[in-house]
Amino acid sequence: MRKLARTGAVLGLLLATTSLAQAETLKFLTWQLTEDTYGPWWEAVIDKFEEAHPGDTIEATQIARQDFADTMMTQFAGGSPPDIVHLASFEYQPFAANGWLEDLGPWIEKAGLDLDGWAGQNLCTWDGTTRCINLQYFAYIMGVNTALLDEAGLEIPKGWDEFVAAARALTKDNDGDGITDVYGTGLHLAAGNNYINDMLNFVLDAGGSWTTPDGKPAFDTPEMVAAIDHWAALIREGLVPADTTGGDARQLFVEGKVAMRIENPGLAGVIETSASEEMKPNLKLVASPFDPPVGGASAIIGIPSEIPDERKQKVWDFIAIATSPEMQELFSEIVGAPAPRPGSVTEAVLASTPEYGLVVEAMDKAAAAGVDRVPVGLETHYNELASIVREEIQRMIIENRTAEETAAVLQDCVSALQ
Amino acid sequence: MSELSQSRTATAAPRRSSGLFGIDLASPKHANKLGYLLLAPAALLILAILVYPMLLAIDISFHDVKFATLSFGSADYTLVNYQKLFSSPDFWNALRVTAQLLLVVTSISMVVGMGTALLVNQQFRGRSFARMLIALPWAIPEVVAVVTWVWILDASFGVLNWLLIKIGLIGGPVSWFSSPSTAFSAVTMVMVWKGYPFISIMILAGLQSIPEEYYQAAKVDGANVFQRFFWVTIPCIAPVLGVTLILTVLWVFRDFSIIYVLTGGGPVGATETLAIMTYEEAFNFFRMGYASSIGVVTLVICAVISAFLVKKTSHAIY
Repeated sequence: MRKLARTGAVLGLLLATTSLAQAETLKFLTWQLTEDTYGPWWEAVIDKFEEAHPGDTIEATQIARQDFADTMMTQFAGGSPPDIVHLASFEYQPFAANGWLEDLGPWIEKAGLDLDGWAGQNLCTWDGTTRCINLQYFAYIMGVNTALLDEAGLEIPKGWDEFVAAARALTKDNDGDGITDVYGTGLHLAAGNNYINDMLNFVLDAGGSWTTPDGKPAFDTPEMVAAIDHWAALIREGLVPADTTGGDARQLFVEGKVAMRIENPGLAGVIETSASEEMKPNLKLVASPFDPPVGGASAIIGIPSEIPDERKQKVWDFIAIATSPEMQELFSEIVGAPAPRPGSVTEAVLASTPEYGLVVEAMDKAAAAGVDRVPVGLETHYNELASIVREEIQRMIIENRTAEETAAVLQDCVSALQ
Repeated sequence: MSELSQSRTATAAPRRSSGLFGIDLASPKHANKLGYLLLAPAALLILAILVYPMLLAIDISFHDVKFATLSFGSADYTLVNYQKLFSSPDFWNALRVTAQLLLVVTSISMVVGMGTALLVNQQFRGRSFARMLIALPWAIPEVVAVVTWVWILDASFGVLNWLLIKIGLIGGPVSWFSSPSTAFSAVTMVMVWKGYPFISIMILAGLQSIPEEYYQAAKVDGANVFQRFFWVTIPCIAPVLGVTLILTVLWVFRDFSIIYVLTGGGPVGATETLAIMTYEEAFNFFRMGYASSIGVVTLVICAVISAFLVKKTSHAIY
């Protein structure tokens, strides 16, 4: 009996040791962990995974958005990538091109995950293989300061003509000291690819696009010339604060110093958390005046190709949880914007806030028009494209060039990228 | 065994201690070895954190790669990055901007630093407070200071434009970062503001070390204040000035955060230095091979400048 007990104890210890040896910690780097919207959703996904995988843990680390691509690149280059790859949809392409991301096709097939109708998923196709799963697709809406519009006797603008007329009427030096107190609108004019994201509003509205459907640069079209003219007019006429980032423009909007701001749906959360109680009733979300609205995939999830297969299986389990109907519905509820899985927006969620329908409508419009911020054919040159466009528009304004000249230079510069 | 031989054996045993790996490090013969041994950890650390990355960067610069991995490359060595670099107008522009910045920021900082050091070297009430005030910009973390300057210089809501308009120096707001000349001026101003305290502190230390007798002797010889400055102060602090100049030049050469936060290298490349260009190519455009070639060229230029300055400025008066 004593011998049996001893053998049992040894076996138990052995089993426990084996189980501990199999328990793993998966590294997960994200910029969304501390965000009011995405943070709680990620926590829910992590909890669900740890519940389903006793002993396994997710080591989630918050990295600032501006440092994220650098950090990921450094980790991949150093041969120690995080197990769960989270990247912005516009920056995953160089990682895929370098062979650092696992082909998810076999995993998707094995799991029977249906990605038909999954918003923004086409962006995850790289060289005919699926290198990621899109975690969000959104479209731009507009924030307006209704008090300023009412004061100027203006309706909510629709289309370029009404928009620029409103911007002119709303830009004011209230105390006559030579300093503009309120700007009609705000644009991202600093470095970074938000420059072309904001500019895309005007490009799409003018009927243009950065590239043709087969990926050739299309900067010298009449539509593009019109778009450049529209963009430059706002800057030249001083209807936007100079040198601002998108974040600055957003902040100025919630402070009442910018009257209209075309943005992603995250603006609703910013109004909620940053605007004063006095200002909040004046700030309203409406449909973008531009058609189709800017849309695009936002963040993707994937598996690094160089980790062992057993770890890949666990990472896939994590992805499967994040993409499950339950978690996708939770995403739609917590984040305040639709998750990419079809049917993830329930009636209850839709009725939860007045803006939800607006966001869904904008997303459907952008998706129907096949809009994405990342241009076809320039996926791996997205940052460079933003840099070239910004520099040439600056040169146009500084040297007083025409939109036609600028469009021609842009066409040459962007063609040279390919 | 005799009593004498027993005693010798007893006393000789501890002296014949074998030491580390059989070497008696206490012996004068092996004194150098002990020195090398003590230096070894530091030397290894330097090799690991300085020399290895440097060699790696040089190696990567000879490979036509977008992404690099932390291992020395295969046989595909190429000069394509250097060919592209030396034929790129952007590189020559960055080199020109770096040289301009070097010249302007270093000279203004040296003059301001010298002036403030001479000022706070005098005896006056509130001298300690003045010294603290002068050192303040140096003590503030660079990114915090620069973000503050971004808001001060903001074209729409910045306090500087407001102040200049109020006192009637300008008719309307200046977009500091939208024109090449104003952007360069803004970068220069912030770099001088951030850099002069270090020079001031260094020179002040040098000034404090000049014996008062030198000035008294010069006075007796009839030297006026300028003669005393040029013939006593400057020669006495020449070694300090030399070291300060080298450190300042290297700081301006490699500074990244001030320019990146203020202008991002724009507009139209007006403030794009070699440091900014390296970062952009590596981490924005993901061209590590090309970025490494810029880094290597920057390293060579820095080494040449340092060697030249060290040679020119290392002569002490004593």
